[in-house]
Amino acid sequence: MRVTVIGVGTRHGGDAAGLAVVTALEARALPRSVALVRCERPLPDLLEALAGADAAIVVDAARSDHAARGARRVAPAELADVATTSSHGFGVARALALAEALGRAPARVELVAIEGEGDADVEAAARIVVELLASLTAAEG
Amino acid sequence: MAEPPGTRSARRIIRVGAIARVEGEGALHLVVESGRVTDLRLEIYEPPRFFEAFARGRRADELPDLMARICGICPVAYQMSAVHALESAWGVPVHPGVRALRRLYYAGEWIESHLLHMTFLAAPDFLGLDDGIEIARIHRAEVERALALRKIGNRILILLGGRSVNPVGVRIGGFHRLPTGAELQALADDLRRARGEALALLRWFASLPVPSRPQDVELVALRHPQEYPMNEGRVVSSQGLDVAADAFEDVFEETQVEHSTALRCRLRARGRYLVGPLARVSLNADRLSPAAAAAREELAHRFERPDPASSVFARGIEVVQAIDAALEAIVRFEPPSPRDASPPVSPRAAVGRAATEAPRGTLFVAVETDAEGIVQRLRIVPPTSQNQGQIEEDLRALAPSVLGLSDDRARRACEAAIRDYDPCISCATHFLTLTVERRPPRCA
Repeated sequence: MRVTVIGVGTRHGGDAAGLAVVTALEARALPRSVALVRCERPLPDLLEALAGADAAIVVDAARSDHAARGARRVAPAELADVATTSSHGFGVARALALAEALGRAPARVELVAIEGEGDADVEAAARIVVELLASLTAAEG
Repeated sequence: MAEPPGTRSARRIIRVGAIARVEGEGALHLVVESGRVTDLRLEIYEPPRFFEAFARGRRADELPDLMARICGICPVAYQMSAVHALESAWGVPVHPGVRALRRLYYAGEWIESHLLHMTFLAAPDFLGLDDGIEIARIHRAEVERALALRKIGNRILILLGGRSVNPVGVRIGGFHRLPTGAELQALADDLRRARGEALALLRWFASLPVPSRPQDVELVALRHPQEYPMNEGRVVSSQGLDVAADAFEDVFEETQVEHSTALRCRLRARGRYLVGPLARVSLNADRLSPAAAAAREELAHRFERPDPASSVFARGIEVVQAIDAALEAIVRFEPPSPRDASPPVSPRAAVGRAATEAPRGTLFVAVETDAEGIVQRLRIVPPTSQNQGQIEEDLRALAPSVLGLSDDRARRACEAAIRDYDPCISCATHFLTLTVERRPPRCA
């Protein structure tokens, strides 16, 4: 199974968290079938990154009314309540919807949101991604 | 009790709140009484104003990077107007190779910005759909075509700007890095293929039920002796204005209105005017590339009178034009030496003014530095502030025709009219909220 882990964000402040997770994952031993990608823009970068994978894990900085900050998995249905930090309103939710409409979306898409910009938040998100990768591999087996 | 829509005697207040993000927050407040507009306010609050204050006291060579932060869609425009103003102030020579690359760089931004607006912001209005996602489901081939074209614009920004978001490749006098011949050749091959795709996309837009709303408005754009304007030219208008770009502060004035923290720009002599693709295509038709000119000819009936609703066609023509301008820049490119690409600059106490053509229209910048190159004054006049007066006038004329519509349709009609101008706030206008209040006529 080809899995693409996509860190979304720009290089400034808390918005860089998704990119920092990719950097953290680069230091870990991951299966060869896992690709790590950095995306600065949901459109077109995320749309491109989603194409060709069997599954994708999208990691992005976010803000919401959720009581607990830090890193957590987000269901696609929750995206409406989570404002990802992106420019011009074309965020992760719309890029995923567009990929779906164009038939470019992988069969399975997992979302990890990070509310916070500390090293601990990035590490926590990286751990969630590693657990997701393990479950995806197990499901395949 | 509220009266139903269409009641001619009703006082109807249409409030479109929170036109948010990008160049700031804004709202539309419209009051119609007995079929007559008694109050209309387009309220826009523009963060670029803060940049004028941020820049004071900073080194002028920081401006290209600072200006790129103003907008995620048109950073090149802000960078270009700023470096031209500084080069004018300090007498920095610009190598022809640098000039060609700047034209290529700007073309990339036009391609990206215009296609985003045409496909994801404007097309839903013509098709009666909610957003670009719905269009992708129904018109997949056209959306894929637009995305593939946008990707080329994105590549150009990355090639010359180092990255597509807040690009950092520009410096006073040139670029920090020159592209290789192989990089430019690969780009040229894709651009040649793109021209046909851009024309096909424009034909699709021409097949859509795009409304018509002709009106009397003065069109303003840059005009260059030989080229379709991007980085330089005189400021001309449909009513005979013809001045050097560095005289813009003499001809235009910014005023403040009570309902908005944003300044709005007007011609000192005649008031409101329109900048942007429609003005450029109308005032520079004889500077279009052969393919873009032929496309404009096919749509000539849409340009007989200034019609903001025809702006989508002007954008489509300019996508073709930008592709051809990019190709020409690559074909004629003569690489500058590293020194010419990054020339040494000597700050001086001076004032420089420049204008370039942002995707949305003419962008004026004036900058004053001291002898050490520290910014003393920065003035930015973005296209959105220049078009505000015309947008209000357009809405004022449109208002009586929406009085009989439901609240939702009235809101959609007003939003669509605003979107025709592709203000930098247009992406947020999809999230507008509308409150409608209907009251009986007030007693005299």
